[in-house]
Amino acid sequence: MTKFRRPGHGNVDVSKTLNFSFDGKSYQGVQGDTLASALLANGVHLMGRSFKYHRPRGVVGAGSEEPNALVAVDRGQGRITPNVRATSLELYDGLKANSQNRWPNLKTDIGAFNNTFSMFFPAGFYNKTFKWPASFWDKVYEPFIRNMAGLGPAPEHPDPDNYASTYGHCETLIVGAGPSGIAAALSAARNGGRVILCDENPELGGSLLSTPGVQIEGKFALDWLAKSLEKLRKTENVRVMSRTTAIGYFHDNFVALAERLTDHIPGVEIGPAREKLHRIRAGKVILAQGAIERPLVFNGNDRPGVMLASSAQTYLGKYGVAVGNEVAVFTSHDSAYEAAFNLSDSNIRIPAIVDIREDIRTDLKEQAEQRGIDLFLGSAVSKTKGKHRIKSIEVFYPNTGSKQMIGCDALIMSGGWTPSLHLWSHSKGGIKWDADLAAYIPDQANENCVSVGACNGDFGVAAALNAGTKAGGGRKKFNTNEFDFGTGISLDTLPNYIDTSKQKAFVDFQNDVTEKDIKLAVREGFKSIEHVKRYTTNGMATDQGKTSNLNALQIAAKAVDQPVEKVGLTTFRPPYTPTTFGAVAGYRNDQLFEVTRKTPIDPWAEAQKVVFEPVGIWRRAWYFPKKGEDMHQAVARECKATRESLGIFDASTLGKIEVVGPDAAKFMNLMYTNPWNALKTGSCRYGLMLREDGYIYDDGVVGRLAEDRFHVTTTTGGAPRVYRHMEDYLQTEFTELDVWLTSTTEQWAVIALNGPNARKLIEPFVEGIDLSRENFPHMAFREGKICGVPTRLFRVSFSGELGFEINIPAHYGRAVWEMLFEAGQQYDITPYGTETMHVLRAEKGFIIVGQDTDGTVTPFDAGMPWAVSKKKKDFVGKRSLARPDLVAEGRKQLVGLLTEDPNVVLEEGAQIVADPDQPIPMDMIGHVTSSYWSEALGRSIAMALVKDGVNLTDTDVYIPMPGQTHTARITAPVFYDPKGERLNVV
Amino acid sequence: MLFDQGIDIPEALSGDALNIALEPEKARFNVRVKSKDVAAFKKASGFKFPVKIGATAKTGTQLISKFGPDEWVISDDAKSREKIAKKLSKLAGQFVMSATDISHRNIAFNVSGRLANEAVNIGCPLDLSLKSFPVGKATRTIFENAPIQLYRSGEDTFQIECWRSFAPYMVDFWTAFSRDIA
Repeated sequence: MTKFRRPGHGNVDVSKTLNFSFDGKSYQGVQGDTLASALLANGVHLMGRSFKYHRPRGVVGAGSEEPNALVAVDRGQGRITPNVRATSLELYDGLKANSQNRWPNLKTDIGAFNNTFSMFFPAGFYNKTFKWPASFWDKVYEPFIRNMAGLGPAPEHPDPDNYASTYGHCETLIVGAGPSGIAAALSAARNGGRVILCDENPELGGSLLSTPGVQIEGKFALDWLAKSLEKLRKTENVRVMSRTTAIGYFHDNFVALAERLTDHIPGVEIGPAREKLHRIRAGKVILAQGAIERPLVFNGNDRPGVMLASSAQTYLGKYGVAVGNEVAVFTSHDSAYEAAFNLSDSNIRIPAIVDIREDIRTDLKEQAEQRGIDLFLGSAVSKTKGKHRIKSIEVFYPNTGSKQMIGCDALIMSGGWTPSLHLWSHSKGGIKWDADLAAYIPDQANENCVSVGACNGDFGVAAALNAGTKAGGGRKKFNTNEFDFGTGISLDTLPNYIDTSKQKAFVDFQNDVTEKDIKLAVREGFKSIEHVKRYTTNGMATDQGKTSNLNALQIAAKAVDQPVEKVGLTTFRPPYTPTTFGAVAGYRNDQLFEVTRKTPIDPWAEAQKVVFEPVGIWRRAWYFPKKGEDMHQAVARECKATRESLGIFDASTLGKIEVVGPDAAKFMNLMYTNPWNALKTGSCRYGLMLREDGYIYDDGVVGRLAEDRFHVTTTTGGAPRVYRHMEDYLQTEFTELDVWLTSTTEQWAVIALNGPNARKLIEPFVEGIDLSRENFPHMAFREGKICGVPTRLFRVSFSGELGFEINIPAHYGRAVWEMLFEAGQQYDITPYGTETMHVLRAEKGFIIVGQDTDGTVTPFDAGMPWAVSKKKKDFVGKRSLARPDLVAEGRKQLVGLLTEDPNVVLEEGAQIVADPDQPIPMDMIGHVTSSYWSEALGRSIAMALVKDGVNLTDTDVYIPMPGQTHTARITAPVFYDPKGERLNVV
Repeated sequence: MLFDQGIDIPEALSGDALNIALEPEKARFNVRVKSKDVAAFKKASGFKFPVKIGATAKTGTQLISKFGPDEWVISDDAKSREKIAKKLSKLAGQFVMSATDISHRNIAFNVSGRLANEAVNIGCPLDLSLKSFPVGKATRTIFENAPIQLYRSGEDTFQIECWRSFAPYMVDFWTAFSRDIA
């Protein structure tokens, strides 16, 4: 049995010994311990170093509020978790934990020189010091700060663990399974709705576990607890979740619960989820989060061995661990007396209770006297001594100025209690100042939510049980024999004879913010608590100020001479406690992070060792390299083969919308710039779509299937927004039209065949369509069969060659592709990808929306006046096209560019200037939008948007690049077969 | 032989607690009819168009779901495709309506077993209690990043349809889920 374990106390199994190591040294704990309780049982208080001054620190709390005892847990490669609170870390056999923020070790830490020179590191030190000279930032300041910053070790390997996530629903969600939460669950369960009761701890019971002596309805707390939990677990509509933290509370009672599934299991393999995120939509939320005890801000309050009174009570009551042999008490609140008496009754000597108040309850005085405890009323601790553990305190009596040293090996403190408002505030619930508690408590709810128990200011077991029962819909009143919770006072500054500037009175332990830092911030002009927080970093550490916020607020309020409630409170934001990225991601890791849409022909391409490129969330075949080919060689070969014989291309990703109804043509006339009335059934036409502002939004070929039916195609990336754009107009502007839209993008697989042999290839496979030149001309559209399956066959070309786009029902896509590819061998059929498609279209000067346009290009800028109907009365964007700025001279226009050196392929996005000798900053007159090597022309080609470009045809412009300026001549943007003869070459 | 949905269901998803199976080839039509014409349309067509959004009507192999104020989807055996197409085309002469063949747009999964609810809820935020989502209900919804159609054919049986290219994402999700149900 370790030295500080108290047999007969606590809810741990002392028969099960667990071996663990801390900073490489071996220790023993028992089943049910946390790392903190196990270390305390071994007499170890020193568990960490502070962030800024590297001061030695001991454990302060006993739960998730702990600011000091942060450790890194090593579970193997990629499985190191930094900044774990030792107070929440369940002990298991073989646990390996290390302290942080120290070098070479916890007892001797070089970084502690910051402490020695702490007078040079006031609040705002970094902001003030690392400002000048600016050139020092990259080389000196940033590396220095980076080196000093951070607490635990950042992971160096990817996290190999798996995580899970799910959605859930319940009528009542109860957060916190202390007395109020359990009572709420018991009464809510009777109403029949689904109840979820969750608690962040492995063991449910909250404060009852720390005060096993309390009797509820004549039963000891643990017996009442066991019976209640058994009842809840047996009730079908109740789900009890331990190790589950409600990390955030979002709109409409949507609460995120992070459940830890395996961290407490020794040697767990990678496989089943480590954590699971439950996204719960609750009808009603009952918050029973409890309260956190407030430290006292006095000189030397951060020495290891100084901790919260309630924590000492928890270590004894829950874990059977004495926090010391000689435990002094410093308080401004009655509740610390209960802790003192509990400890005293377990044979822990209490050398002194120092109370700031002159007068206290008679029963407290009497009970202290009975136990032989010395009371120091109207006094304060003015100093503590001890290097890595407290050895003594100095008690100061301000009325006479007398001082007295008292020996101890721990000091427990209480500055009152802070109700936990975190989730309440996430839900945007209002708060109000309670002067008696000297704390904020919930006011008006913003959701269907109620706060019960200590987090609502209802202190005491009976009050919590009654409030919980009421919130769950019951009326039962409970009897207990508990210690009267009592009252306290709250002071901004404690009496001391030592000058404030010489004191080390910490407010925020984790970020090393002292009382004088907060006063300094106010002196320097930061009056808002939000500014004080950011300047001093109070409350900005991993504990988010759970123990420090209210103390900081009171000190700041006093310094600005305002009542606390006028100074406000900083905002609570999710997560409630530090949460792993894994838990937030859940299943959405690797390929589940985002959908990758694949076409029916994708598996065939993959088998050909194609190189893919992402286009929106689609992945498309980019190019098909043969052995030893780079991209340039592969694309040159694919281009040549297509122009000379036959290329095959997967165009399945093209967006498709079927526009159907008697008013279909009317609707098309409104949505596209082109005229549609005259388009005959069995024909297709290029369509150009504008936004209301007159700029090009999308384009595509549209086939007319019948008087009342159009097959509209869109760009790959534009499909969802075009559908939405159309539906938007249909539902809000053109509601009188009888027309409906159906997305058919995925109904059809599309195989594009381009090249002089295209017709020859498909002829034997096609039924019911006359493919002859006369009867199936360019821009014709027919329905029939190919390879025995229905097809919508377009004669269109995005390459300038004879071309067909074969639409077949998607699930037949791969089979038809394979049949055509097989038969195409006689023509050396060549599969090509998006890169070749881009080159072939650029040789013809066909634009790609989003590449040659950027949302500020009109059809006239793009050189496409032919696509805009002059006769139509209206279409979306028509009025904008007459805007003065859109008809003014000097707009950027789409032109072709031919470099002086035919081997130079310009960089897409490169800026264009008129005068290469102009000093910087030069006037940029445009930029390159598309640029490729053209195998067909044996030289480079480019398209560009250039100011007044059309008027500049045949003049030279310049493209300055690092080390070299290229010269290029402006041309028309059609480089290959300008007369379009190749469409009908065969 | 030509028919290929391009998806394989891993063995881990063919258990008793959770069984996910691909539905065979189907006929599917998206039909839009104006509210005022629905009664006459039903009479003329014999199609059992449900009245409430989210409701379905099942007649033999044919399932008709109402997804929007004027939108129904008819799904049936693949072999009824031409018959339904002909019937709809005839009706189009009598009514102001739209009917579009979307037979190959979707892939359908049959999700059944004790863990079926959970297999849906890992990605779908809807409340699947029988009270909120009774047997026979169908709706458009999402499964994380994938838009889906969800139909409850039994207490522990769902049919999920998604656009073809989203199907591998769905299967990958369930495969990840299967790690946790072993």
